[in-house]
Amino acid sequence: MRRLALLLLLPAGLWAQATVARTTEEVGVDRGFNFTNYNLRASFDSGFRTAQIDGNRGKYRSDVNFGNGIRVMGTSIAVNSREGKGKYFDEFLLNTQGLGNDPYQNVTLRMEKFRRYRYDMNWRLNDYFNPGLTIAGGQHLQNLRRRMQDHQLTLFPTGKFQFYGGFSRNVQNGPALSTANLFDTRGNIFPFFENVRREQTEYRLGGLAQAAGLKLFWQRGWELFKEDTRGTLDEPGTPLDPTVTNTTLSGLRRDQPYHGSTPHWRVNLFTENPTWFSVSARFTHSAGARNFIFDELASGAIRGGARNVQTLVYGNGRRPVTSANLTLAIFPSKTLTLTNHVAFSQSKMEGDNNIRQLTNNTLDSTILNFQYLGVRAVTNSTIADWAARKWISFQGGYQLSERRIRSTERVDDSGFIDLRQGEQSNRLHAATAGFRLRPIQGLTIVADGEIGRQNRPFLATSEKDYHAFGARVEYKQKLFRLAAQARTNANFNSISLFSHSSRSRTYTADASWTPNTKFSLDLGYQKLHLDSITGLAYFLNFTQVNGDRSYYVSNVHAIHGGARVILIRRLELYAGLSSTKDTGAGGGNYSTLPALQAAQSFPLTYVSPQLRLSVKLREKLRWNFGYQYYDYSEKVLSQQDYRAHTAYSSVLWSF
Amino acid sequence: MSNRLLWKIGFIAVCLLIPASAPSQETSVQLPPGYSGSQTCKPCHPSISNNFLRTAHFKSLSDDKLKFEQKGCESCHGPGKAHIAAKGGKTNIVAFSQMQPKQALDACLACHSQQLGRANIRRSSHTTSDVVCTNCHSMHKAATPQKLLVKLQTDLCYGCHTNVRAQFSMPVKHRVNEGFMQCSDCHNPHGGDASVTKMAARPRMMAQGLQNEEPCLKCHVDKRGPFVFEHAAVKVDGCGGCHVPHGGMNARLLKRPQVFTMCLECHNGLGNFGRQGDGIQLTPSSHSLTDPKYQNCSLCHTRIHGSNSNSRFLR
Repeated sequence: MRRLALLLLLPAGLWAQATVARTTEEVGVDRGFNFTNYNLRASFDSGFRTAQIDGNRGKYRSDVNFGNGIRVMGTSIAVNSREGKGKYFDEFLLNTQGLGNDPYQNVTLRMEKFRRYRYDMNWRLNDYFNPGLTIAGGQHLQNLRRRMQDHQLTLFPTGKFQFYGGFSRNVQNGPALSTANLFDTRGNIFPFFENVRREQTEYRLGGLAQAAGLKLFWQRGWELFKEDTRGTLDEPGTPLDPTVTNTTLSGLRRDQPYHGSTPHWRVNLFTENPTWFSVSARFTHSAGARNFIFDELASGAIRGGARNVQTLVYGNGRRPVTSANLTLAIFPSKTLTLTNHVAFSQSKMEGDNNIRQLTNNTLDSTILNFQYLGVRAVTNSTIADWAARKWISFQGGYQLSERRIRSTERVDDSGFIDLRQGEQSNRLHAATAGFRLRPIQGLTIVADGEIGRQNRPFLATSEKDYHAFGARVEYKQKLFRLAAQARTNANFNSISLFSHSSRSRTYTADASWTPNTKFSLDLGYQKLHLDSITGLAYFLNFTQVNGDRSYYVSNVHAIHGGARVILIRRLELYAGLSSTKDTGAGGGNYSTLPALQAAQSFPLTYVSPQLRLSVKLREKLRWNFGYQYYDYSEKVLSQQDYRAHTAYSSVLWSF
Repeated sequence: MSNRLLWKIGFIAVCLLIPASAPSQETSVQLPPGYSGSQTCKPCHPSISNNFLRTAHFKSLSDDKLKFEQKGCESCHGPGKAHIAAKGGKTNIVAFSQMQPKQALDACLACHSQQLGRANIRRSSHTTSDVVCTNCHSMHKAATPQKLLVKLQTDLCYGCHTNVRAQFSMPVKHRVNEGFMQCSDCHNPHGGDASVTKMAARPRMMAQGLQNEEPCLKCHVDKRGPFVFEHAAVKVDGCGGCHVPHGGMNARLLKRPQVFTMCLECHNGLGNFGRQGDGIQLTPSSHSLTDPKYQNCSLCHTRIHGSNSNSRFLR
């Protein structure tokens, strides 16, 4: 039995192979030791990583970002009370990843005393680098650190009356490169640095009351957000396009504090009678509001004349959002489930600002804006799920959605008032159907489809006349698994001829085989195809061009594979390969504009082989070594290409 | 600090610090008909019994308020006396491997229906495809101690959603393979409420953020707004109108390799679309697409998700 469990669980170590990863621990193995009234299991994996990059380092940092240095690869500590009567806690679970130096770090903690309390914590850190849009010469670079944490303490977690309090924080800071278009739309564009500072904090209180078969949840929360990003340029700016010489910039300062809160309520009522029905009702309301100031001072010259412009904008935005949901499930028989879901949502965004602009120290404009955008949607969907026989089941459903959008745009420019109001409504009818078949032991065949129609979608690229079909076949025995899947999505939004059409087709196949405890194999292939064509209108030298087309095609071929083998008793080897190749278009130009032709596809190759070695030094000690190579190349901008050798070495102590 | 607040803090502290009473001794109580107690399972299932204390269900054994039928092995597997008398077998006990999907779902929901995140499980796409609790969770051989998942979450989801594995193998992607994120940060595998964007249509199993909005805004908090000038497309059709969430070729996870093609696909002046229903505004005549500057829309329209100071998202 234990051998079989190990055989089944061994492939788990193979799957996580997309990036340099430490060798995972075997699961299902009895470990740990007892002390007092507790059982303790733990593992500590510490070592160092190294990376050598050839080619575009910025692109490597954007895609992978592993660097050199010592770190705690991972930690796992589990303490459980042996008889469920620990004095202060009964369960303590701590897991960490990448602490110290990795760009991806996280810590999760759960601590629970049965019937008394449960505390959950999650902390994450991401060093995020983005070199910016390639065609923009690397502008809009970001080099941010994002830290997120979430805490929740629940009192009496299994009781009929529960209470909880929670706290979350999301902080981003770091340098970023932005751009400003000065001093008018025909002026030049100048890059400048911003010091990004964003912080979101959320506090929440909630509870559950259970009586007479009804469960009532409530939550009251307060989200606080503040952004104090500042951008400066203390020296003469270098224009993005040096051939445009009509503008010079000697200095720029931009402050844009943006603060506010979103208090919210959530109430949920739930009841279930397992023999014939269940009801779930939910109501939420939030009232988001933000205050802002935009203060910019730019000095320089345009078309030979000195220019300094100070722009001051202040005001606030408000967005109350209300939604209600009701789900009713009834079970007319043991094999039939009918569910109906009604949803209502209403979002009213409104805001006003006051713009004052001084040019060469003279007030040249005062503008008052008021904006309103209201979106209301009602949805009703019904699904029937029928298990006709043990080996076959069917499902089908219908959804009707209605949406109304109301808009007001009002501009008061020194007494001249421009007012635009509009309303747009849309209706969706969608139907789904599918079946699941198990003709023989281990073989499963699943197929499903959906057809939908909207009368007035919001965007030219929104789904209007769409259908989606998919099927999946899986054959699974204890030591062998083979699966294949095909899926197609198509959307035609043809208000006029060839306004927009999009088609995607996906074919995948994968297999895993674990003949014995010493060898296991995992292989897979995926093909993702997408082609879309959209009618365009734009200007070329003040002449409007109609009827041109934006065409995009992507043909991604991806393979992954891995083999794990125990060569000798103490030596475990894993070799894997991940390869992704977008072959792009087959040829043909759908547009007359060279820039559009160049954007028809994005051929690239991204190959990453890896090798992992794990040597058992002692009963509780392993030495792990890993190597992963990355090779990225693209045809659009070969300066982006890079090759990287990354490796790690660590010692894993577990008991 | 008021006396009332002190009393409340004191009450909570006392509740937390009172040592739990010893678990009831199964052998000392009158056994319900057909039941034999969890201790009788151990001789034949030693590994499962020894590891049971490390699973979340162990707490049922020490809960005095639960009835005998709700404790330990027999709370899920039903009365075990016949199973023991027959020296094993799957027909004389509740064996999850023999259950129909709906039976397995009902068995788990008998206790687990009370969590908010599972309020829509009866209508989730997983349930209607007969993917129920036991397909993803393992009570006795879990790879993750908290959620009792069969495998690490990413591997588990990739097992069926193989096309998504290919998307996360693209050079630009959300950091799921790296362990920074998990699928459940954005998706609710137990089924979500109707989305407030995109006509509540596909995809249907998304987790929802603070204002019932898309889960993207749980992390990308600066994009939430409210803004005086909302980019209406974001609020109506959601982030997916421009971005591919899993992975792609564009550094900003845009649907197209270059930003201007994507912008022009909507801003083409074609009738019926947009907030006034009279077409989405065409780019100005001064924006000649022969000039590289105008092929980089976000160079000037830097606040494209929403702006407080400029209706054209210029600052």
